Amino acid sequence: MSSFEEALARNGYSIGLTSSEYTLEFIEYLAKNTATTRNYKDLAILFKNAVRKLELERPASAQVYNLLRDIGLIISEGAEDQVDFETTKNNIIDALDIWRNRVIKECEETAVIASHRLVNGDVVLTHSRSICVLKTIENAMKQGKRLEFYVPESRPGMEGLATAIKLNEMGFKVRLIVDSAVRFFMKNITKVLVGAEAVAVNGAVVSKVGTSLISLIANEARVRVFVVAPTSKFSIETLFGELVELPEGDWRRLMTPDILAKLPENYRARVPIYDVTPPNYIDGIATEHGLFAPQALPVILKEIYGSWPPKAPSIEEVLEKIDSIIG
Amino acid sequence: MEIPVKVLKIADGIKTMRIRGAGKIARAAAEALKIAALEYSGSRDEKSFKRYMARVADLLISTRPTAVSLPNAVYYVMYRLLTTEDRFDELRNTVIRATEQFIQESIDAVRKIGEIGAKRIPDNAVVLTHCHSTAAVSVITTAYRMGKIRKVYSTETRPFFQGRITMRHLLEAGVPAVQIPDSAVRYIMHEVDQVVVGADTIASNGAVVNKVGTSQVALAAHEARIRVFVAAETYKFSPSTAIGELVPIEFRSPEEIVPKEWMEKYKGIEVLNPSFDVTPPEYIDAIITELGVIPPQAAILVLLDRFGWALSKLKQGELGKIVFEETLEE
Repeated sequence: MSSFEEALARNGYSIGLTSSEYTLEFIEYLAKNTATTRNYKDLAILFKNAVRKLELERPASAQVYNLLRDIGLIISEGAEDQVDFETTKNNIIDALDIWRNRVIKECEETAVIASHRLVNGDVVLTHSRSICVLKTIENAMKQGKRLEFYVPESRPGMEGLATAIKLNEMGFKVRLIVDSAVRFFMKNITKVLVGAEAVAVNGAVVSKVGTSLISLIANEARVRVFVVAPTSKFSIETLFGELVELPEGDWRRLMTPDILAKLPENYRARVPIYDVTPPNYIDGIATEHGLFAPQALPVILKEIYGSWPPKAPSIEEVLEKIDSIIG
Repeated sequence: MEIPVKVLKIADGIKTMRIRGAGKIARAAAEALKIAALEYSGSRDEKSFKRYMARVADLLISTRPTAVSLPNAVYYVMYRLLTTEDRFDELRNTVIRATEQFIQESIDAVRKIGEIGAKRIPDNAVVLTHCHSTAAVSVITTAYRMGKIRKVYSTETRPFFQGRITMRHLLEAGVPAVQIPDSAVRYIMHEVDQVVVGADTIASNGAVVNKVGTSQVALAAHEARIRVFVAAETYKFSPSTAIGELVPIEFRSPEEIVPKEWMEKYKGIEVLNPSFDVTPPEYIDAIITELGVIPPQAAILVLLDRFGWALSKLKQGELGKIVFEETLEE
């Protein structure tokens, strides 16, 4: 880390994994640990640990819940149908391979669709850092579209800096602003483009904190808001009435201990990581199946799962089945 | 006669922002006028003294062309001088009295605003405030002493982290305060009962110019039907906006956001750092001044009451500001 990055880090600069990057990392974690399992019990324990890991690290990640649901079903159904262990193990490895490709491929297909909504001369505001948003912009660039960008810092974490650098490397005109200046600049902006951590069944979007405020501001100024979210980010759990759990951090996300030491002893901070943007502030969600109104989500889910409501068990149900393996 | 060195020093302090904050600037300007009057050693006739004071007034106003408290302090004093016809000694006393009165009123204003504003805070309230405002902190701490405040959320306020100063003031007063990042304002709004912010400038239509981010805090509050109060001394009201002048928004150094080395490495990225934004009057429920609570749309009332004389002068001029030396020629 160079000295100026350290200076930034003292006030909370810390680039975390994007939602897609986290899923890819989780796939590698599962692949590595599956390789050393010797029986169904090992697999069951691995699965339970993986769910716990997700709940601790990133409870809002719908994509990893969906991944775990697939893997859990392979384990529980394999045990139930008395499928030979090695076969089940191979099925898991295959499923992880499919997921690895799926995360990237869905993101790319979604990006192509989303890129069609960008037109020549658009001035786009994008928040935080999203792989699918960056791929959307890459596609728009290939289509020869002339674009300019505004990027808020996106505290906590300040991932906006990384996005600004990336967009600048791609050759775009980029303006970096503080999160508080979004409404000040909204009059210059023609479109808002953001990624998602999860999409709830009513079309509400869970994304980096600040996204809902930006969407509100865009709505006030009649600027359109588009979310780039492959269908693997749709939260099946919300169909069963679950709320997406939104984790919060503390002062550590805003500063280093030496800065804290200069503040009053009883200084306290609440640092949400995500927030929920209501569907009425979102003009369209781009998925690999097409772009649609957030409220039309059930239609797409019916398409994908072949029925409504989808015949997918909740992660709790999968966990119960897995528990019965351990006995 | 030459302008005294002490006066020039204050003028320089305001110009270089060694003296900062609307209240401090206004009181420093009043103090400078007082010193100028005390140290006047020129000819003891009425005309020479007025001309000399007009030069001092113009110099002070020119130091920060965008500040509003500064010209208002000068108008306050100069109005009393220019409308008095008397012997030199009396004129000098008029200036000294006016400056002392202004400084005292300015200090009392914060306390009065605190008392008036605190009455408007409901019991057991969770309050959100943005940036650091002495007047807003006065409202909150007064309400806290009345047992009305359960919790205060204070935004960090990038890039300069004035929210940390607010945290210090609130915690020192025993107020339970929690910091949030600026991006979390909408997330937290459903827990909030009341928004209280300060102001840099208030325009004649009731629009409030304040630290960038205020307008989106107010928007998020409006969406959640949470009331927004602006705590502001009357010298924050801008007479020049009444003749159609826009309030200029200062863009400050990008180095407040990212280090210089970062900008050198990523030359292609433009870092924009506006200091203020404008909150439209429809997102503000009330402005709390030391004279009382007013709806923002009635801002013109305060302007007429406090700066009616300046308003009529401004209307005559073409520059949107008063040049006191020219005023004397009439």
